[in-house]
Amino acid sequence: MLQLQNVTFKVPDSDVKTKLPLQKTIVNDVSFTFERGGFYAITGPNGSGKTSLAKLIMGINELSSGKIVFDGQDISPLSIHERSNAGIVYGFQHPARFKGTTFRDLLSIAAGTDDEETLARIIARVGVCSMSFLDKPVDSKLSGGEIKKIELATVIARNPKVAIYDEPDTGIDLWTIGPMVELLKREQKEHNTTTIVVSHNKAFLEAADTLLLVRKGRIAYSGDLKGAMPMLEDLSVCTFNEPCQGENDARCYR
Amino acid sequence: MLDATDKLVLKEVAGLEDIPKGAYNIRKNGKLLGREVSANINIESNEKGDGIIIDIKPGTKNESVHIPVILSQAGLHDVVYNTFIVGENADVTIIAGCGIHCGGKESEGHSGIHEFKIKAGAKVKYVEKHIALGKGTGRRILNPTTKVFMEKNSQIEMELTQLGGVDEARRVNDAVVGEGATLIITERVMTDGDQIADSKNEIELAGTGSKANIVARSVIKGNSSQDFFVNLTAKAKCYGHIECDAIIMDNGINQTVPALRALHPDAELTHEASIGKIANDQLMKLMSLGLDYDAAVNRIIQGFLR
Repeated sequence: MLQLQNVTFKVPDSDVKTKLPLQKTIVNDVSFTFERGGFYAITGPNGSGKTSLAKLIMGINELSSGKIVFDGQDISPLSIHERSNAGIVYGFQHPARFKGTTFRDLLSIAAGTDDEETLARIIARVGVCSMSFLDKPVDSKLSGGEIKKIELATVIARNPKVAIYDEPDTGIDLWTIGPMVELLKREQKEHNTTTIVVSHNKAFLEAADTLLLVRKGRIAYSGDLKGAMPMLEDLSVCTFNEPCQGENDARCYR
Repeated sequence: MLDATDKLVLKEVAGLEDIPKGAYNIRKNGKLLGREVSANINIESNEKGDGIIIDIKPGTKNESVHIPVILSQAGLHDVVYNTFIVGENADVTIIAGCGIHCGGKESEGHSGIHEFKIKAGAKVKYVEKHIALGKGTGRRILNPTTKVFMEKNSQIEMELTQLGGVDEARRVNDAVVGEGATLIITERVMTDGDQIADSKNEIELAGTGSKANIVARSVIKGNSSQDFFVNLTAKAKCYGHIECDAIIMDNGINQTVPALRALHPDAELTHEASIGKIANDQLMKLMSLGLDYDAAVNRIIQGFLR
């Protein structure tokens, strides 16, 4: 239902030595189909292209080539808000902080209504943030965990067909991660939400029906967690021993 | 008593649908249009006849006084000197503001000089809104001045708003904050076209334990320009903070100059200032919630100027 067809994303770069302009490929010819109601976890090393891939789906990053088809429609030319109105919503890894705009404002925009009862129902449904959050400005005074909970609520308030969460557990306390995973699973089941979570957290990797392992801009593996384990364990072994020079001159290149 | 234009202007500057309840003084085109006093709030013309004295009795609680100004006479430049004396331990709301309705080619202007003497323990909320309406091409000029003298443990919260239509505004805010007193100023200004607005603030934290929090939010559209200056001077153990943010749209220009001067070793003064376009991550967020670009910009500005 959500198909990535030969999706590529390049950014301008320059050669380190010659300084001549060139293009760096961040996402390299990725093809994959997300099925309706599936729970997917995207994982991989830092800088592998996970977030860039997720942002391509939302339209935050512009495709260099390839196509994204959603429910039979080519959404590649659509803007962010058009994709949102088609049913795709994105929870940011580092949510925007505003001056003056409150959680109530964001939730009202997301839900399409400022009706108090409706907002209260959404907050109850999300569970992880309380009604006392409602009139808090979404500004720099919020903690990292608080703003991530707000971010989560605004995504769910949209009743998305496809919900993309980019590292939803950043800044979240250990005691909230479990309920957060349960919430996303519940949303998946009750609303048949296609759920895509970019994460390194084992809790999300275990919750996913399908795991996508991204390396160097490509999907190196897709399948269940068990099948991914050998590759994940391999990634946990440092492959930069030579440039790092190990204990003699420790400089981490990972 | 009030014509359609008066009602429109009053609604914009003071949120009034009609003549307010309680004490009020409505000035129109340099003349008194209506006045009402209450048992605790007296209003009378000053000796020179160029303004009013609003005298609020000590201990007055939960009362408000409206003093809007309407200007709809082409070529008139009205200057008024108003004095507010707020008695000990009073707790009141003062709603001021000026609305210009310009229908012709000639300029119209109002300069309101408001002096506040806030006695010990008194608490004031001062709401001042400026707006200019009408299809005329004359320049609309508003030059407000506030001078605030705060006695021990008094408090004033000033909301100063100018959200549209004013071609030229030169604001001056001066305050002397006494022992244990708290001054809070929130200034919100939006300019467009070729409008200019500047605001000069001289705040003196004079008493031990005095506090000031100055917040300025500016939105600069079109080819307009805004300048914001604050000198926050500490002469005692005190706390002061300045926060000024400007969002530039189109070709607007802005100067923001927050200055801190500590003339006492125990003064704690801080400031933060930013000038820039609407942050991209804010736009992305609202667009990811289904708003198109223009609607997202509007919502961000609405929140910013709230």
